[in-house]
Amino acid sequence: MTNSLMNGVSDWLMSLPSPSGLLEKVQRDGRSSLSQLELPNRKQESWRFSAVDRLESIFSRPLQGSRSHGIDQSIPAAPSNGLRLHLDTDQNQLRSLTLPAGLSWLTEAEINTYLGSSLACFGSESDWLVELNHAATQHLLALRISGSPPPLELIMGNSCDGLSATRILLILEEKAELEILQIWRGEANTSQSHILEVQLGSDSSLHHGVLALGTGNSSFFAHLAVQQEPGSLYELTSALQGWHLARIEPRMIQSKGKAKTILNGLAMSDHDQEISMNSFMRFDGPDGEFDQLQKNLVSGHSHTVFNGAVSVPKIAQKTNASQLSRNLMLSPRARIDTKPELEIVADDVRCTHGATVSQLQEDQLFYLRSRGISEIEAAKLLLRGYCKEITSSLPVEAERWLPLDHLLNQLRS
Amino acid sequence: MRNFSFMDNLSSQELVSQPYKYGFVTDIEEDKIAKGVNEDVVRWISAKREEPQYLLDFRLRAYKHWLSMAEPDWPKLGYPPIDYQDIIYYAAPKKMEKKTSLDQVDPELLDTFNRLGISLNEQKRLSNVAVDAVFDSVSIATTYKEKLAEDGIIFCPLNEAIKEHPELVEKYLGTVVTSNDNFFAALNAAVFSDGSFVFIPKGVKCPMDLSSYFRINSGDAGQFERTLIVAEEGASVSYLEGCTAPMFDTNQLHAAVVELVALDDASIKYSTVQNWYPGDENGVGGIYNFVTKRGHCRGARSHISWTQVETGSAITWKYPSCVLMGPDSVGEFYSVALTNHFQQADTGTKMIHLGPRTRSTIVSKGISAGRSSNSYRGLVNIGRSAEGARNYSQCDSMLIGDSAAANTYPYIHCQQPQAAVEHEASTCRISEDQLFYLQSRGIAFEEAVSMMVSGFCQDVYSQLPLEFAAEADRLLALRLENSIG
Repeated sequence: MTNSLMNGVSDWLMSLPSPSGLLEKVQRDGRSSLSQLELPNRKQESWRFSAVDRLESIFSRPLQGSRSHGIDQSIPAAPSNGLRLHLDTDQNQLRSLTLPAGLSWLTEAEINTYLGSSLACFGSESDWLVELNHAATQHLLALRISGSPPPLELIMGNSCDGLSATRILLILEEKAELEILQIWRGEANTSQSHILEVQLGSDSSLHHGVLALGTGNSSFFAHLAVQQEPGSLYELTSALQGWHLARIEPRMIQSKGKAKTILNGLAMSDHDQEISMNSFMRFDGPDGEFDQLQKNLVSGHSHTVFNGAVSVPKIAQKTNASQLSRNLMLSPRARIDTKPELEIVADDVRCTHGATVSQLQEDQLFYLRSRGISEIEAAKLLLRGYCKEITSSLPVEAERWLPLDHLLNQLRS
Repeated sequence: MRNFSFMDNLSSQELVSQPYKYGFVTDIEEDKIAKGVNEDVVRWISAKREEPQYLLDFRLRAYKHWLSMAEPDWPKLGYPPIDYQDIIYYAAPKKMEKKTSLDQVDPELLDTFNRLGISLNEQKRLSNVAVDAVFDSVSIATTYKEKLAEDGIIFCPLNEAIKEHPELVEKYLGTVVTSNDNFFAALNAAVFSDGSFVFIPKGVKCPMDLSSYFRINSGDAGQFERTLIVAEEGASVSYLEGCTAPMFDTNQLHAAVVELVALDDASIKYSTVQNWYPGDENGVGGIYNFVTKRGHCRGARSHISWTQVETGSAITWKYPSCVLMGPDSVGEFYSVALTNHFQQADTGTKMIHLGPRTRSTIVSKGISAGRSSNSYRGLVNIGRSAEGARNYSQCDSMLIGDSAAANTYPYIHCQQPQAAVEHEASTCRISEDQLFYLQSRGIAFEEAVSMMVSGFCQDVYSQLPLEFAAEADRLLALRLENSIG
C-alpha cells in the first residue's frame, strides 16, 4: 500500500465517531485490524479481476450517521401485507418498535453469543471488506424468527453521500419461514457496506431478495454468511445494477448436509461499471443440494466477474450441485471474467457447472423481426426474457422497486 | 506395431506384479558435470555444444531472468523446495562422438531403447514412424532422417539443427516461449541440452509420424530438453512424444519447453503419452514434470492440436496452450490425466484467441484414484480483435475411491461480443448399475472398471494415432490395478 493511501485510511479511521453502543467492541477491533491489513490487490486470487483502485474512494467519504428525516418521497409506499424497516434508523428508536408475531429482537446476551459466529465458520471474519464493515457499522438489526411472520422489507442505508455500513443477524428457529427483501440505492458518492449473518434451524426456510440499484460513482459491498441445518432451504435472488464497483459475496455452508441452497443472480452493468459475484458453497454433510444460476448483462465498457466456488469434502456423499454462469455481451468494449471453482473429494456425487458467453442470438432476433417487431423492440423483448428468469424469483414487492423495462431502456446499446 | 509397444505381450497378471516396467537403470558411462547451476555452467554447456554467440547470449539472458524470478507456488502443489544447486544440468553417455551409422551407437544404449519397446535398428524399425531418441541430456539417434530429407523435411536433434540450419533456429527458437516466460521456462532456456527440431517446408505433408522418446537415466540429473516444430505454409505433421524414467526414491525435475509454429494453412498435431515414473504407492520418488508447451497459430487457417495422456510423474504441472493469431485458425486440446496413490496433476490449457473467427475445442478427462489430486485449470481468453471467435470446453472428472480429489478451475475472459464461449463440466464415479450390468455378463470386476474408464476417455483416445490409443488404454488399465474396491 502506498504511503498516501495508508495515511488516507488512518485519517479516515480517525474521523470515525468513537466506538459506542452494542457494537463498540466490534468497531474497536475492526478499526485496529483495518489499520494493519493490506488493501486488496490483484495478486490476491479473489481480487485478481477487480478494479481494486476504486476501493480507495471509500476513504474520501464521510460515514453516514443515523437517519433523522421523515418519509422519503422517492420510494414506493410501504407494502400493505408486510413490515418495512429502515436500517439507518437510530438504534434505540429501531429497537423500540413493536414487531409482529413471529419476530423478536435478540437480547444483548444473544447478540454477544451469535454475532460473528457465522463469519468465523467461513474464516472470513478478518477479510478486508468484513473488517471495513466492522470498523464503521453502527446499524445492527438482530432478529429471532419463529413460525411464519409477514414478509420483511428492509431499506438499507440511504442514497446520500458517504459510507453507510449496516449489519444484520437472523436466527431462524426450527420450521420458521421468512421472506425478506433488502433494498439498496446508491447515488453519486454513496458507498454501501453490509454484513448479513443467518443461522437457519432445521426445516426452516429463508427466501432472500437482494435488490441493489446504483448510479454514478456509488459502490456496494455485501458479505453474506449463511449456516444451514438439515432440512432447511436458503434461496437467494440478487439483482445488482449500475454500481461503479459492486461486489456481493454469498457464503453458504450446509453444516450437516441434507439442506437445499438456491442462488439466482442478475448483474446488469453499463458505462465503466464493475459488478462482481463471488460465491462460496460448502457441504459439510451428505445429501446436500445446490443450484446456482448467475446471469450477467454487460454493455458499455463495463466489466462483470463471476467467481463461484463449490467445495465437496469427503463427508458430503450424494451431493447434487449445479452451477451455471451465463453472460450476454452487448458491447464490443465490455469485458467478462468467469471462473467457477469446483473442489471435490467425495466420489458419489453429482456436480456440474457450465458457462456461456454470447450476444443476442441472430436467429431469435430474425424470428421476432419477421413478425413485424422492430429491431430495438425485438432486442428489448429478448433481454427482458433473459432478465425475467432471475427477477421473477425475487419477492413480489421487488416489482415496485425494479421496473425492468425502465432499466432496459437505460442500456445504451 | 508391437515394437513400439510400451507393454509387450504380458498377461494382466504379470502387469499387476510389475507396476512400473521402465524403472531399470542403464549402467552406462556418462559424461556429467558437477551439480549446480551458475553462469559458468551455462557457458560450459553452450561451449560443449559448440553453439554460436546468439545462443549463448540467449542462455545468459535467460539465466539472468531466472535469478530474478521467484519459484511460483500458486497451484499449492506442496512439494518440498527444490534445491537447484543439487541437480546435474548436463549428463550424456560417453562414446558419443561422431557416429556415421547406428551400428556405432553404444550397444548398451540400443538395448535400453529396445527394452523400452523402441527399436532403433534399421531392420526392426517401425515402418511409418521416425524416432528421435533422447537419453538424459542428448539425442542418441534419429531414424529415417534421410528419407524425410527427400521431401525437404528436417527432423534432427536441436543441437544438429543449430549447426546445420542456423537461420531457421535463430528465426524461431524462443519466439513462442520467450526466455523470461516463466520460472521453469527461463531455467530451461538457460541450461537446455538437446531436444528435437522439426521443420516441414511449404506445402509438404509429412509422410510419416515423427516421434521423440525421452528417457531420464541419471538419478541426480534433471532433464531440460527443448523441442521446436515449425510448419510452413500448407505443411502438416503429426508428432508423438513418449517418456519414461528409472525408479529412484528421490524426485527428479523435468522442465522442458515445446514450441510450435504454424504458418498459413499449416497443421501440427502434437500427441504425448507421458509415463514418467510416478513414485511408489507411498508417494516417495517420481518425476516433477514442470513443462511449458505452447503453439502459435501464426498463419490464417492454421491448426494446432494437443493431445495428451498423462499417467506418470509425481507431479504434473503444465498447460499446453494455443495462441490463435491467424484469422480462422483452430486450436484443440484433448487430455486424459490419471492420478493414483499420491500423484498430483495440475493441468489444462490456455486458448488465447486474437484473430477473427478463431475456434478452439477443449476436452479434458480427469480420473483420480487413491489419495491423489487431479485439477483442471484452463483459460479461454477472447481478445477484442477476435470477432466471431468460438470456444467449446468440456471437463469431466471421474473419482475412484473417496480419498481422491478432483478440482476444476476454468477461467473465461471475454472482451468480444461477437464471440461464443461455452463451458461445461461434470463429475461422476463408476456407477454401481453399470458395473453390475457388465459383471452379470461375466466380465471380471477390474476389467469392467477398465472398460468404463476407457469409455470415459474415448473422446480423447479417438484423437490419438491408432497405435498410441491402444497403448494409452492399456497404460491406464495398468495404473488403475488395485486402486478399486
